[in-house]
Formats: sequence, C-alpha cells, structure tokens
Amino acid sequence: MSDLLNMFTLGNFNPGFIIILAGILCALIPTHQIRKALVLLAPIAGGVLIAQQFTSAEIIGGIWQVGPLKLTTLRIDSLSMIWGYIFCLAGVHNAIFGFHERCKITDSSALIYMGAAIAAVFAGDLITLFVFWELTAISSVLLIWKGGEGSFQAGIRYLAYHVTSGVLLLAGAVIYGMSKGGDYSFGFIGLDAPGAWLIMLGMGIKVGFPFLHNWIQDSYPKASITGTVILSVFTTKLALYALARGFPGTELLIYVGAVMTCFPVFFAVIENDLRKVLAYSLNNQLGFMVCGIGIGSQLAMNGVAGQVVAHVIFKSLLFMSMGAVMHRVGTAKASELGGLFRSMPITAIFCLIGAGSIAAFPLLAGFVTKSMIITSAIDHAAYGGGTAMWVVVMMLLFASAGVMEHSGIKVPHFTFFAHDGGHRVKEAPWNMLVAMGLAAALCIFIALPFKGFGYGTLYSLLPYDVEYKPYTTDHVVFQLQLLFAAMFAFAFLKRRGVYPDERKAEILDFDWTHRKLGTDVSHWFGAMWTRLSANIDNVKASAFGFSGKRLSRIFSPAGAFSAASPSGLAALLTSVMLALAMLIIFITGQ
Amino acid sequence: MSEHNHPDMPDDYSPEGLAQIHPLAKPFLFLGKEKVKRGFIWFPVVGLIIVSAMGFFFPPKHPAPWDFGFSWAVIGFVAYTIVVLSAEPLFKMLARDETYYGEGEAPKLVNKGDHYE
Repeated sequence: MSDLLNMFTLGNFNPGFIIILAGILCALIPTHQIRKALVLLAPIAGGVLIAQQFTSAEIIGGIWQVGPLKLTTLRIDSLSMIWGYIFCLAGVHNAIFGFHERCKITDSSALIYMGAAIAAVFAGDLITLFVFWELTAISSVLLIWKGGEGSFQAGIRYLAYHVTSGVLLLAGAVIYGMSKGGDYSFGFIGLDAPGAWLIMLGMGIKVGFPFLHNWIQDSYPKASITGTVILSVFTTKLALYALARGFPGTELLIYVGAVMTCFPVFFAVIENDLRKVLAYSLNNQLGFMVCGIGIGSQLAMNGVAGQVVAHVIFKSLLFMSMGAVMHRVGTAKASELGGLFRSMPITAIFCLIGAGSIAAFPLLAGFVTKSMIITSAIDHAAYGGGTAMWVVVMMLLFASAGVMEHSGIKVPHFTFFAHDGGHRVKEAPWNMLVAMGLAAALCIFIALPFKGFGYGTLYSLLPYDVEYKPYTTDHVVFQLQLLFAAMFAFAFLKRRGVYPDERKAEILDFDWTHRKLGTDVSHWFGAMWTRLSANIDNVKASAFGFSGKRLSRIFSPAGAFSAASPSGLAALLTSVMLALAMLIIFITGQ
Repeated sequence: MSEHNHPDMPDDYSPEGLAQIHPLAKPFLFLGKEKVKRGFIWFPVVGLIIVSAMGFFFPPKHPAPWDFGFSWAVIGFVAYTIVVLSAEPLFKMLARDETYYGEGEAPKLVNKGDHYE
C-alpha cells in the first residue's frame, strides 16, 4: 500500500498518469471551453513534470511491489526523455488543431491515448509497458470510430491487430522475465533471449513491419479529421521507442527497415486518397528509423531519436493540412481536389513546408535528421557491413527519392495545384492555422544552420553526444542533386504525359488476404457447414424415421407383436431369444 | 472560363473570379497558368546543372562505391522514374472498384455550410 502511495508522489509520478487522469476528468466535464483548456494544459503539465523530474542521467521511481512482481512505473533517461517531450509537444499541437471540435469522446480519448503512450515510454519494466501498450490501443480506437459508420469495421480490425500485438508482447515478456528469475525490467533484450521473438513481433505489429502494416493505411484515413492527426503521432512512435530500447543493433531490423522504406512508395503513387498516401508515407519514414535502430551505432540512434522528433512535427503538419482541406472541401481524394492554393494559400504554404521537410530539403527538418541515419548506414557498409549493407544504402536512397514523389510532390501538387477542382472555399479556421503554423515554424527552427541554436537545440536533446555536422557543402550538394533530379523527373514525365492521373479506386494491399480472401474462405466454410448440417439432419431424420416405423410396426399396439398369434409361434420366439441369450453368456464366459 | 480554370468557375482574373480568390493568393494566380506549369521544368533543370557541377568540386565525405560527381542526381532521376512508370501496371493489377470491400466511404462528412464535419 505504501508502495502504491509512493508512486503518486511528485518525484515518482509517471508524467503520463497526469494526462490519463485529465482524460478521465474530461469525460465528465460538459463545458466545451473548460474541456479544451484541459486538453491543452495537460500535455504542458506533462512536459513540465518531465523537466522537473529529469535531473540526472537516469531517474528510477514509482516502484510498486505487486506480489512477486516488482513494477517500475517511472524510468526517465536520455532515450525516453526525448520521446516524452515530443509526445507532450504533439499533444499541444493536437489540442489547438482540434479546438473547434465539440466532442467529449475525442477530447477524453485523445488525452488518455497520449497519457498512455507517455506512461509506456517511461515504463521501467515490461509488464507496465504492456498495460499502457494496451491502453493506447483501447483508447485510440474511439478516435477511429468517430470517423463514422464506415469506420467501424476498420476500428475492429485495428483493435484485433493491437490486442494481438499486446498478447505477443505479454507472452514474450513472461517467458523473458521467468528466464531472468522474475526480473521484468525493460532494457536491452536482443533476439537471443527467451521470448525475444514474441516481444519483437508484438512491437513489429505496432511499428508496421511489412505484411503487418495494413492497420495503418486501413484505419488512419477512416478516423475523424482530428483523430487522424492524433493517431499519426503516438502508436508507431511508441513502438519505435520500444524497439530502440529492446533491440538496438539487431541486424535483422536493418533489412526489415530497408524493405519498409521501399514498398510503400509503390502503393503511394497509385493511391487516390491523400490521407492514405500519407499513411503509406508514414510507413516509409518508420522504415528509415527501424533501419537506424538495426544499425545501432551512436550516430544511427541519434538519427533515430532526431528523426522521431522531426517526423512527429512534419507528419502532423501534413496530416493537419489534409485535415484542414477535408474540413473545408469534404474530401481528401486527389481526383476531386486541385487548385486550392486560390482559396487556402496559407494552408498551402504550411503543406509545402511539411512536404519539403519530409523530403529533407536543406533548411527544413528532415535534412538534419534523416541524413544521420543514411550516413550511419554508409559507414556501417564501409566498415564491415558488406555487399548486403550497400544494397540497403541503395534502398534508402531509392526511398528518399520515393518520399519526394509521394509526400514532397504528390500531396501538395494534387491538393493545391494541378487541375482546378473548382472548389472556392474559406481558408482553414484560425485554430488549425495556428497549429499548422507552430508545426511549420518548428520544421524551420530545428533545421536552422546554427550549432548553438536551430539544429543545435535538437541535437542537444539526443541520447548521445553529437559530432555530426549536417550543413557540410557535400551533404547539401548531394541532397539537392537527389531532390532536383526527382523534381525534374516529375516535370519531365508530366510533360510527356506519362505521369499517371489520379483515379478513384480501392488499391489492394496485403490486407486483402484477411479482408477478402479470409472473409470469402470463412463464408465458404460457413456455407459448407450449413449444407453439411442440413444433410446430416436429413440423414438422421430419415434413419430415425425408418427405424421408428419398423419398430412401430413390430411393437406398437397395432404392431405385429400385439397381434393375436398362435401360442406355438410365441413359444418358438421365446425359445430362440433364450437360446440367443445363453449363447452370448457362453461366449463372454459370464 | 479559361484554359486553367475548372469549367464551372469564372476566369481567375475576371471580377467574379477575383472575388472568390483569397487576398493572399491573388499575387500568385500566375501559378495556375498552363504556361507557368509547363515552364516549371526549368527550375529543377537549372538547379540540377548547378549542383551536379558542384558535385565534382565537393565530393561526398562518406562515399558509396558508386559515387561520382552527380551520382545522387542519377539515383534520384532513375528512382523517381521507376516509381512513376510502375504506377500503370500496378494500378491495373491492384485497383478495384471503390466499393470492393463493401464497407462504404469513411469518414462520411456532412456539409455544414462553410465546412464539413
């Protein structure tokens, strides 16, 4: 009991708890303004608490002994700290962006979801991690269901993926903890440890490993406008943190990450729904970070942490700009948009800043972070990584050009430029503009070419000391070569009429296996079972009917045995039955 | 109506057209002109020539085996082209009707006058 009370003292209080409590409180507050103030203030309070608590290299607190289990509900170190801060910052952005939305469920679930993600990041053991891991899933599904009727099934699938992820994590954690004599503390695990594969698979579902990624593209575009922006921040980044904590330097992740960077590019180019394009783009960016975790060097891990910060900011910005467009136009389909720079020029500028950041243009966010991962991959290849690692480097460069295609060009081009879609609407509401403006300013600020300011501020938060300098002439020149060449290819292919027009369609992905094939197979089995049951019932009915009739003919009051028969025949039948009984007794020896 | 506008929309530069344009967008209406769109190609061409030339004077400090003066330009162009050219066959292979899964459109937004919810 004293442990439990101790958990709630300031020094031991997981900053996520305060946000979860605010979320629960939010559900009870009927006044819109008070609720919105709480949604805005809770992440600020969380950030302040992190700053108050993080006074040394590692803070351990909130120890709670539950039977044989020792739970560590608070662990802040240089790795978890950066995730905690960026989650709080994203919470502030989201609160401003969703200020217009009068929805108790969205406000409450957004806070609980954010709080759970922060609490999970600061969890010091695998059981606490599991609890908040599942809470992120349960609280966030409400944001998907707020997307309306058509989003219900997507929400169910989302839950199925995430509950499975949690079950795998728990199963792996139990095996791992038992092998360590009941020590469930969450540190480096590595693939050789018992239960490690289950843990990694659980994390892999949440981070969108290839073939396990479909929940992202399925659910995010179906959530409400605000919901998608909120969802894009927490779940996948929490899983990245867990991978960075448990599996840094795991070679398998290099290759998994490289595949993750490349395959979404091909889906994004043919996708019509721009929020789905951004969901594929999210997968692609996560690939860079998974790859960096696999490399595991200090430069790579710094790159991962930096890219998480930059990615949360610019990806939110892109989702916010699409959200603003949907808010005014009612759709995010490329085939129905175009020419919106005439009506929404400020949103267009913010979207271009987000697009430039994700494409890693110099002076914008991605440039100072993604290059750390690519440079670490080149170093890894040059110093013993071998041919396979050079292939990975080539895949990362290919994917960088791919990012330029889907997020750098396609999203802003088809929304704000391209053909005029005939929409003359108002600019986005003030709160959306403020949220996007803040994110755009941060995209520029963290890439300013000053070591003590700008990118230096971001680098000072990274888990290891940074010697890397992003603004070298060769880096700027070669990055611009890649980007200008991609732009030239776009303009050239467009002029030649080769660039594909946007067309309405449902693009099949791996989820076809369970959404169509799996459903059809289960329907087939269902139909077969029904027919089989009906046939069995018929056979049973006819068999029972036949024997019933026969027995009735013999034994019923009108049957043969009831008929008046000669006493000689009765005596004969009795003798035969007696003989049969004696024969059976004789054979069985009774 | 003009070559660069939606058929139902007035010309951007007509009084009715201008009345519907955001004040901040008015100086940038030239971006909607077909000539400007076609001429956009010269921006990356000029940029590409400059940075490709500079690549010979500032070689990469962490070179890959294939790196030369304008290697990343080649990678960028080839990669982008592969992605775009793959679109048509991929679309033929993977595209189905929007109602394929039979779940309806989500989110279904309701028109509330000046915005959708």
